[in-house]
Amino acid sequence: MTTVGAVRELMVKRLEADSLDGDSRREMEVALEELDVMWDELQGQAALLVRENERYAEFFQYAPDAYLITDAGGNIREANEAALELLKTRREEVVGRPLAEYIAADDRVSFLARSVGLMPGGAAQPLAWQAQLQPREGTALAAQFSVRAIPLKKSGVGGLCWLVRPAT
Amino acid sequence: MTVELEELKALWLDLRAHVDQLASERQQYYDFFEQASEAYVVTDEHGTITDANGAAVDILQRRKRHLRGKPLTALVALERRTEFRQRLRALRERTPGAERAWRTIFVAPELRTEVQVNARLIERPDSVGGVCWRLEALA
Repeated sequence: MTTVGAVRELMVKRLEADSLDGDSRREMEVALEELDVMWDELQGQAALLVRENERYAEFFQYAPDAYLITDAGGNIREANEAALELLKTRREEVVGRPLAEYIAADDRVSFLARSVGLMPGGAAQPLAWQAQLQPREGTALAAQFSVRAIPLKKSGVGGLCWLVRPAT
Repeated sequence: MTVELEELKALWLDLRAHVDQLASERQQYYDFFEQASEAYVVTDEHGTITDANGAAVDILQRRKRHLRGKPLTALVALERRTEFRQRLRALRERTPGAERAWRTIFVAPELRTEVQVNARLIERPDSVGGVCWRLEALA
């Protein structure tokens, strides 16, 4: 893979071969040095952001509460460990499935009706309501759903972030 | 030389776009954590605070910069500290039957708040990466 270092080396060799006068050569060398510094700074910024994103991603994954991210179609894009425990399922089984599949049949229509209109733009403040959650196995349980609009990672388009807690 | 300059420019633009993408993701994660209505604290496996969101700051009654680096135990009422440490140790060592939720009391100057804590380990392939805590002030 071509790196900035390799390109820089090539430029230095070309500099030596070219018949530049002393001043022009020194100017070019200084410019290359500055470029090196800027490149290192930008790489440092990228490394720092990667570390921070890993830290926040870990928080999402291991938050004590169940969080689900759905897209505009209501399909689950992300589910954290607590959500998988609550739904009694595995990540590969839940990602891509409609969240409504995990709502008890009696509550599904009203759940979908409430979900409509939450996007795009969405409410800045979380909206909350109760519905019967139907895990993959076992009986349904009353759960509190709290939802707010968020941009989805990478694409930046609107999604919904669901906090699900068993009703007390 | 023009070819090399073009190549440098392309490399630079690629890296710049990568950094912008990372920064945008970072902002999304930050908003998710900071704007959560729940109070969350993240500690290392020994209970030293690495991050706390706004809702947690409200409960703990300390400025965020004063929370980072402080043991969460140090904010627990003196008479509950031993119990808190024992529970944290049991959780960290995955002692069978260790509970993830319990009640404790946090103290700030002239304020005692009874709080329900809920803890979950940050699992890494070979180690415990820390603990995520939810704090819920009890009326």
